[in-house]
Amino acid sequence: MRILRSVGSWFMPVVPDSRVAILRTVLYLFVIIDIHLFVRDPIPLSRHPELYQPLMIERLLQLPPPSVPLTITLYLILMIGCLLAASNVFPRLAGGVVAAAFTWWTAIGMSYGKVDHDHLALVVALSVLPTVGVIADRWRSTDRSRQAGWALKCIQISVVFTYFLSALTKIRSGGWSITSWPESSILLWAIVRRPHGLGQFLVPYPELLQLMQWLSFTAELTAVVVLWLRGRALLAAAVFWMGFHVFTLAMLYIHFAPTAICWLAFAPLERFGPWLRRVKASRGQRAGRRPAGHAVSVLRDHPVDSGG
Amino acid sequence: MRDISKTSYAWRIAATVLGIGLLLNGSLRMSDDVWPFGPLSQYAFSPAKDTTIVITRVEGLLADGNRIDLPLRVETAGISRAEIEARIPQITADPSLLRSVANGWTSRHRGEPALIRLWLVQDQTRLVDGRVGPTRLVELSTWELPA
Repeated sequence: MRILRSVGSWFMPVVPDSRVAILRTVLYLFVIIDIHLFVRDPIPLSRHPELYQPLMIERLLQLPPPSVPLTITLYLILMIGCLLAASNVFPRLAGGVVAAAFTWWTAIGMSYGKVDHDHLALVVALSVLPTVGVIADRWRSTDRSRQAGWALKCIQISVVFTYFLSALTKIRSGGWSITSWPESSILLWAIVRRPHGLGQFLVPYPELLQLMQWLSFTAELTAVVVLWLRGRALLAAAVFWMGFHVFTLAMLYIHFAPTAICWLAFAPLERFGPWLRRVKASRGQRAGRRPAGHAVSVLRDHPVDSGG
Repeated sequence: MRDISKTSYAWRIAATVLGIGLLLNGSLRMSDDVWPFGPLSQYAFSPAKDTTIVITRVEGLLADGNRIDLPLRVETAGISRAEIEARIPQITADPSLLRSVANGWTSRHRGEPALIRLWLVQDQTRLVDGRVGPTRLVELSTWELPA
């Protein structure tokens, strides 16, 4: 029974609600960027019904085939829903609508032959963020809850699983062999196919590319460890993985922005609001004005222990 | 601290276990079809050291005799290179599926000579012992645009 309880509290740590309130703002605004920059093709793709191959989720839910009016409606729903949810207004309703609409939108984008894998953490995040419910005082909330802890834990798990599962897939596709992927010519293949990034300068050095394959494969396979890191070790892991994404972007023009943004689920975001207010207050003082009216609230909102 | 009811607690644990189960099942057993629970298979295969690397392109013949590379981006062609590549068998069986690429180009180049013919081509680069070898151009399919 005690083991069950400790497993439960690992999945549902007590965490400041303001962390979720801030993460909501960031992620829902990110969705607006995403539908313009990354999964931006559902509307043009919906002009080609002959190429539509519905995924299992679309067949199970018997979703109608995409048409231009349908994708434009989804787009408008996403824009309005994201703006409301980013302001923590109607978090369950607006968040739930965004989760459903964005999942459908992204599924449409993946239903014309190519399926991307950088949206796992974001889709999970959008599904769990509404479950935290209304957060009174939003960014300034001083409340804590297991509901917030569970949502953040789910996002954290899906971030590290994006790496870990990709390592599993590499083992599987190599005929259940640990060495076949890291010893293959995959990076060279990727660089020849995408000859725009810095990777082309590494074409003459296939041994170096293979060393990079070993490094990234090892990091992916062990990524789950990040779930148990704290403090500086966690920060170091986050910096490593951000570096990894910057590197693949520079080498191959492959970005994993929707995964990278979800790393914020590991960050003590609740410190951001008080920090911002302190900066504003000290600016106000330096400018020779009286401290702003909310100076008192700076004291009250003293950073809560990140805990959890 | 906010309260959490027993039901709330229980469904969250159940959802977590179910989600992790679906993800592991997807990665270990299923295909891309089960997105978002499918295998994370981008760049997950293991090309051999003597593999042939293929870049698929669409070329067009203009009325003035020029042969040009037609862009395969969603913004210009309405469809991306990856989506064309995923459909090579369908396109070779029915080359008129290249219509969207032609329409995309024509609608953006109204003042220019008309497209007469499209080719689905591939640059095939061979690796030799893990190093880049020679490249050759292969034509997969041709489509004459209706006049």
